[in-house]
Amino acid sequence: MSKLKLKGVEIVETFAEAFPMVGTRVITTAPTLEWALIAARTMTGFATSVIACGAEAGIERELKPEETLDGRPGVAVLLFAMETEKLQRQLRNRVGQCVLTSPGSACFAGLEGEKKLKLGASLRFFGDGWQMSKIIGGRRFWRIPVMDGEFLCEEKTGLTKKAVGGGNLLVLGRSHAAVLAACERAVKAIGEVREVITPFPGGIARSGSKVGSKYKGQIASTNDAYCPTLKGAVNTALPLDIEAVMEIVIDGLTAPSIAEAMRAGIYAIVEGGAKQGVTHVSAGNYGGNLGPHHFHLKEIIA
Amino acid sequence: MSALTLKLATRPNQRLDLSSLIPWRLAGLTPKEIETLPVGTTREPVTVGDLFKLKGTDAATLRLVGTDASCDRIGQRLTEGEIHIEGDAGAYLGAFMRGGGITLSGSAAPYAGAAMAGGSIEIEGDVGERAGGIAVGETVGMRGGRLSIGGKAGPMLGERMRRGLIIVSGGAGDYAGARMIAGTILIKGRVGRWAGYGLRRGSLILSEAPKDLLSTFNDCGTLDFNWLRLLERQLHATGAQVKFGVRARRLMGDMATVGKGEMLILD
Repeated sequence: MSKLKLKGVEIVETFAEAFPMVGTRVITTAPTLEWALIAARTMTGFATSVIACGAEAGIERELKPEETLDGRPGVAVLLFAMETEKLQRQLRNRVGQCVLTSPGSACFAGLEGEKKLKLGASLRFFGDGWQMSKIIGGRRFWRIPVMDGEFLCEEKTGLTKKAVGGGNLLVLGRSHAAVLAACERAVKAIGEVREVITPFPGGIARSGSKVGSKYKGQIASTNDAYCPTLKGAVNTALPLDIEAVMEIVIDGLTAPSIAEAMRAGIYAIVEGGAKQGVTHVSAGNYGGNLGPHHFHLKEIIA
Repeated sequence: MSALTLKLATRPNQRLDLSSLIPWRLAGLTPKEIETLPVGTTREPVTVGDLFKLKGTDAATLRLVGTDASCDRIGQRLTEGEIHIEGDAGAYLGAFMRGGGITLSGSAAPYAGAAMAGGSIEIEGDVGERAGGIAVGETVGMRGGRLSIGGKAGPMLGERMRRGLIIVSGGAGDYAGARMIAGTILIKGRVGRWAGYGLRRGSLILSEAPKDLLSTFNDCGTLDFNWLRLLERQLHATGAQVKFGVRARRLMGDMATVGKGEMLILD
């Protein structure tokens, strides 16, 4: 069987196994794009993996003033969790601690949908009785008095139960620098895709995990099959000349958006061709029995 | 199918109650049946056919032509569909309405949009007292929807209003926004005395400072209000020609009551 290659980089015949999540989108705005980004980055900090962060979150894209409700620069933020209740708690805490506190900010719903999550509906209590509600165009907003004026926050935002978490790409290469550069390109390309985020630092995870551990109570541990330093000791997935592997994890509001992001990522990774040091693009799965969404690399690049 | 049009051909010698002329009631009625609907308010019986000439059949959009200030209760309790009035309207125009739309080319008598809960009323001319306010026997005024007044509003505009939006382009009489519970009233032009009297919550947005400001309103200074931008954009999106920016002087009151309302005087 001939191996599938793109510009000399092998596309391993495997698939990314992803899981259903609940997701939402909120829009933060501020007097300047810089401050909208500060609020959004703060709100999506410490949100790489639901394993210990409670949520996975990231910036979807920047919004021009004409795209936002209040005509100021804005940022679209996506937030994902495994259960609605947890997502609700994370949303309240993150918007309450990171957006409400950020100078000049406002926060609006970014998603429609029959099911809703509370946004201003719970944060309004910060107003201690001085908050005012306004219904504008059929949507309810809360004006919460704060020290720099008013925090304007929409009552609710939409929720989707069709979100997908854990779409991923594994990038293998002969040098750390080459893999990092390829992943940076991929994250940038995925940034252009709507409805998705890459929640890890800079969009890249270097410590992919497997389920379970030899230690009791440790639910995830290092993915030894992909650790270059263990090639000789474990049932490795790596050829001998691989020096580094990095993973790009993608969460999205829909399954097709993840597929689109993976496709954009793969083409960005192989952009420089094999001679730059990237040798394989693979994906992580658990044999296909755990997650209902399977993204086969072969189909994605077709 | 053309819009059902009722043209007032004979001047009535009494006040009329036109509350039966709303789209859902007329749908499915033959012109003959519509003509037999009673509209009188005295012992002398009067029917639609006695006064109006009928044309068209589509009752989802109703046109009333040539009406005058004796035509009360047009569009009262409207829930859906549209009523376009070429002429004036009597009392209770669109009172208690919950949906649909009413347009009026002329002026309306008292109680226009009183106790309305949804839908929209667009009046090109003036309105009498208590527009968007309490209907007789009720405890709260307008509770939703939108009332636009192109001309001047009479006294007691939006009295005990609970929710919704009133926009006035030509000023208002005394007691504008009196005893408001919540909601928003935007007035371009001059307001009479005692604006915001008894205001509990809600926003009274004025383009001009009232000449006699109630002493129970306390100044909070001139500030930026981001929500005004939302309001302005929403109004633009729905065709209203307004421009007011985000800066306004905020006065809170009425301190003689709850005092959590605001008068925003646009900068």
